[in-house]
Amino acid sequence: MVLPHLDDAYGLARWLTGNQTDAEDVVQEACIRALAALGAGVVERPRAWVLTIVRNTAFTWLAKNRPKTVMLTADEQFLEAAAAKETRAPANPEDELIASAGQAELDAAIEALPHLFREVVVMRDINGLSYREIAEAVGAPVGTVMSRLARARAQLIDRLGSR
Amino acid sequence: MTTSPPPDPTLLLQAALDGELDAAGMIEIEARLAADPALAAQYARLGALRDSITARASRPRAPDSLRARITSMTQTGGEAQAGQNGGQVHTAQVLSMTRPTRSEGRTAPRSNRSRWLDAPYRSLAASLMLGIALGAGASGLFTESRSGSDVERAIVAGFIRGRLSGQSVDVATSDRHTVKPWLAGKIPGATTVVDLAKDGFPLVGGRIDVAGATPLPTLVYQRREHQIALSETSAPAGENNSPPRRERRDGYSILRWTDNGRAYLAVSDLPAPDLDAFGVAFRRAAAAEREETPKR
Repeated sequence: MVLPHLDDAYGLARWLTGNQTDAEDVVQEACIRALAALGAGVVERPRAWVLTIVRNTAFTWLAKNRPKTVMLTADEQFLEAAAAKETRAPANPEDELIASAGQAELDAAIEALPHLFREVVVMRDINGLSYREIAEAVGAPVGTVMSRLARARAQLIDRLGSR
Repeated sequence: MTTSPPPDPTLLLQAALDGELDAAGMIEIEARLAADPALAAQYARLGALRDSITARASRPRAPDSLRARITSMTQTGGEAQAGQNGGQVHTAQVLSMTRPTRSEGRTAPRSNRSRWLDAPYRSLAASLMLGIALGAGASGLFTESRSGSDVERAIVAGFIRGRLSGQSVDVATSDRHTVKPWLAGKIPGATTVVDLAKDGFPLVGGRIDVAGATPLPTLVYQRREHQIALSETSAPAGENNSPPRRERRDGYSILRWTDNGRAYLAVSDLPAPDLDAFGVAFRRAAAAEREETPKR
């Protein structure tokens, strides 16, 4: 159940925790949870299910080990702050720069995103989950996922387009 | 979701890009793109970003060592699942076999990490996860029959989650006239909300728990530093009025009763006698409210 999606699982954990060792710990922990939950029945969409567990494990882990880097509860304020930042940004990003961004720039830009934004971009563009699956994984309505994704992409465009 | 018409064009663009629009939506967006160069430029930019990320952002592969560890875990899990009550057994097996593996190759910065593996924390975290999963309405994930105990499990998980996160309510107010309409706006049917402040159980607020695919209105009351979460559902057929029954689950006190065709389930970390007192007070107040309502 977990093994076919191990690369996806590890990739997500790696993006959320930011380093290899922690990602391995999170994936292993998530697998233990997944195995324990498997007793509960058949899983309809295994990949989304595995990623949901990895995501939740990663956030539990982050809240415990890096409480300062995650903001989960101050969601509203945090989104407002992010929106304020957007409006200050230059309105003319270079399309060329975005299309030609290399791995290092892309990784750095994604890593610079706050966790709540980063996870939706990674789940969507790297793991290829649908909005619905992401919404289930992060425990937010689809509309929230969409607006976080839009904000995240706006920040990425800003950053990559004005290098 | 609401039916308010014109959504943010950025969200529409993005949905088109992500293949999340239906055919009608695509036709509409294509027409808008053709008519609006600025929108088309934004679309192109989002497309370039998406292409860059899918083509070149890191997609780390799981290291072989991790793969090997997980493989051995799943094999153990498979065996245990054949037996009855597999969940408990194979978790234990998995734990016992992964711990040595972990400590072998690594040394220094592990001291506080090992606490993370402690069993009590683990069960707490698992409950938390269950709470999150259910709370997110991730109902299709576990295709289990929805019996009474599932509802109970969901409610207890919701309670644990509320205590852990420190956010036990979605609407925080001691005013029952605020909680009731808030719940009414989200859930069909009226929820009984009574003021028990003078009985020593001030109202903290309300939230919605989800059991299976069913949203349940839940009220949260306070007693000293403890909380009581009270969920209401429709009563099973033929059980319109039944006296309170006390149970325990995962160390929490549960009190359930039916009253006037509705079933109530209260979960708390309070000692049982206090929870009984809560049940008495709530039933009395609910009965008083029922008598009052028709006169208005």
